[in-house]
Amino acid sequence: MNNSEFAVRLTDVKKKYLMGKVEVEALKGVSLQIPIKKFNVIIGPSGSGKTTLLNLLGCIDIPSSGCVEVCGQDIARLSDKQASDFRAENIGFIFQNFNLIPVLSAYENVEYPLLLMKKPAKERRELTLKMLHDVGLSSHKHHRPNELSGGQRQRVAIARALVKGPKLVLADEPTANLDSKTGQSIIDLMYKMQAESHTTFIFSSHDKQVMEHAEKVFEIHDGLLMEERGK
Amino acid sequence: MKTLHIAFRNIFRNSRRSLMTILAITVSAVAVHLFGGYVANIVYGMQTNYVCDNGHLQVYQEGFFDYGAGNPAAYGISRYQDLIKLITQDPQLKDHITVATPILKFYGIAGNFKKDASKTFFGIGYVPSDLKKMRKWNDYNMKIRKSRLNRIVLSDDDIDGGIIGEGMARMLLLCEELNVKNCKGKLPEKSDQKPAATEDFSFLEESNGLNDIPESTDKRPRLDLLAATAAGAPNIVTMYVNNTEVQGVKALDDNYAAMHISLAQRLLYGKGEKKATGIVIQLRHTKDIPFVKARLEKLFDENRLNLEFKDYTQIVPMYRQVISFLFALFSFIATIMGVIVLFTIINTMTMSVMERVDEIGTIRALGLRRSGILGQFIAEGLLLGVLGATLGTVVSVIAVTGINSAGIMWTPPNYVDPVPLKIMVFLNPFLAPGCWLGLVLLAVASSIFPARKAGKMVIVDALRHV
Repeated sequence: MNNSEFAVRLTDVKKKYLMGKVEVEALKGVSLQIPIKKFNVIIGPSGSGKTTLLNLLGCIDIPSSGCVEVCGQDIARLSDKQASDFRAENIGFIFQNFNLIPVLSAYENVEYPLLLMKKPAKERRELTLKMLHDVGLSSHKHHRPNELSGGQRQRVAIARALVKGPKLVLADEPTANLDSKTGQSIIDLMYKMQAESHTTFIFSSHDKQVMEHAEKVFEIHDGLLMEERGK
Repeated sequence: MKTLHIAFRNIFRNSRRSLMTILAITVSAVAVHLFGGYVANIVYGMQTNYVCDNGHLQVYQEGFFDYGAGNPAAYGISRYQDLIKLITQDPQLKDHITVATPILKFYGIAGNFKKDASKTFFGIGYVPSDLKKMRKWNDYNMKIRKSRLNRIVLSDDDIDGGIIGEGMARMLLLCEELNVKNCKGKLPEKSDQKPAATEDFSFLEESNGLNDIPESTDKRPRLDLLAATAAGAPNIVTMYVNNTEVQGVKALDDNYAAMHISLAQRLLYGKGEKKATGIVIQLRHTKDIPFVKARLEKLFDENRLNLEFKDYTQIVPMYRQVISFLFALFSFIATIMGVIVLFTIINTMTMSVMERVDEIGTIRALGLRRSGILGQFIAEGLLLGVLGATLGTVVSVIAVTGINSAGIMWTPPNYVDPVPLKIMVFLNPFLAPGCWLGLVLLAVASSIFPARKAGKMVIVDALRHV
């Protein structure tokens, strides 16, 4: 594989942070390459460093040492403004707690990333409606988050992550706050959307349902990459 | 567009808190409007009062303003009628002037010889019809009571008539004749010493034919006025008192004697040339003062006239002092209100930031720049300011309408008669827009600190926040 076939390349990445007055090393020298257009999963127990790793991949944090390249861009070289623009353009986020904006409707939440990209109104409308249709929420477009169920909220979050056609979608334990049936439907939906959009998906999870769909699995433990499975 | 849209929804996320903030801004706006309108009423009322009695400008012989009180007759303006013509017929000035009239100010001794009472007085001679015209000046549409206009009881024909202050009438023992109130106090005890002179001094009056008139049949109280003529000789004239007129300041009330200018001239100049100590100029609008001053200066230079002029704020120094005092008071109240608004908005916005930490983290992760977060919270402060200031303006209009139509009467300082209490918010064209804009800018400024705090949040910490 050449460089352009990897969405993410990590070289000896370490990440330390302070918890109170105690220094914690969340990543202790992780090196990995995540292929593009695949359904990738990062697994590991709680406190293993999954979320820290996803934060680095999402350009919302920088490593203490080592190199993180996302879509060919060394994220440590980006200013705050450039990192914001990079995220707006290339990265979609799906959070465990859905993290929808409570004062916006389902439609407006999905439209929000397109506003950040300054897309014209007509294009925004078309893309938003299509994405809401794809996640099966056309009839709920005017509902506010507090008027939606957990599953519906996560569907809105998926639509929001995918509406701008990002190169990378990061999902931090997206089924953790859902019951197993709803969780399964969300995983199925994401798998379907990934297959259709050929976007690189990176999950962090310890859910076996997720791993069943995974094309590539990275197992992380105590801040170290322990195992890499899949094609 | 979207920023304001989202801001509007965000401020009603905690509607009770936002409502309290908006109400704090509203109350501040109402306080500033009401006090500002009250101050405007006093300031413009005082100006109207002074301009009605003293005009906008007074022209004097050079030196009169500083030294004239010592010897007013020596500073008389010769051929003042020609000077009035020069001023009123000037093509550049005539459209700005409503009245230009002579006055004569002097000091003397008034005697009520029937009752062996006499005292010093401050005399002013004017043209009654001109004063009547001046008192109609009402450029700010103040609600002047009709009694004020009707108070002029002299007429151009009544050349021996006069008006004195109520205090002066008391001291000259004219209470009964002039129906003066508050005359129940103890009178000064008569001295055992014989008065220096008890005889009628009217023989001193310069022979001008009037002495040949037989004993007057005039039933009005009589006062004999004694003063030094321009030549330095004593002179006496007889004035018949029409009425009393309470003056706002006791010192003036105890010494005030107003009369027809011809009577004052007879006293001061006798058979000599009749002069005036000043020319009172009343303008159509106060804002014309600088233009008229500049023109007068040029006019006097061109005609080589050694004259000086003063505007009403110079003639009545208390006017400036009162305005400074009221302005300081207004600034103090506006500052207190501003500080209350500042802290209320800072508190509201800080609470709002603390409640939305995870949301800030989310939208930053989605790609909104720090400046976008800053803009978002400033927009919320702006909207709070706009809503509060606008509501404040509306409530102020309602409150002002209510107060102004309630018919409350009061006597402002230095006034003689009570006047209706009016809150004149819109008389000062800058008050309402300035208050609105000031509150909105203050709201924006207040939200900058919490907005910066929000913009500086570390995304991962914000997302981790519960």
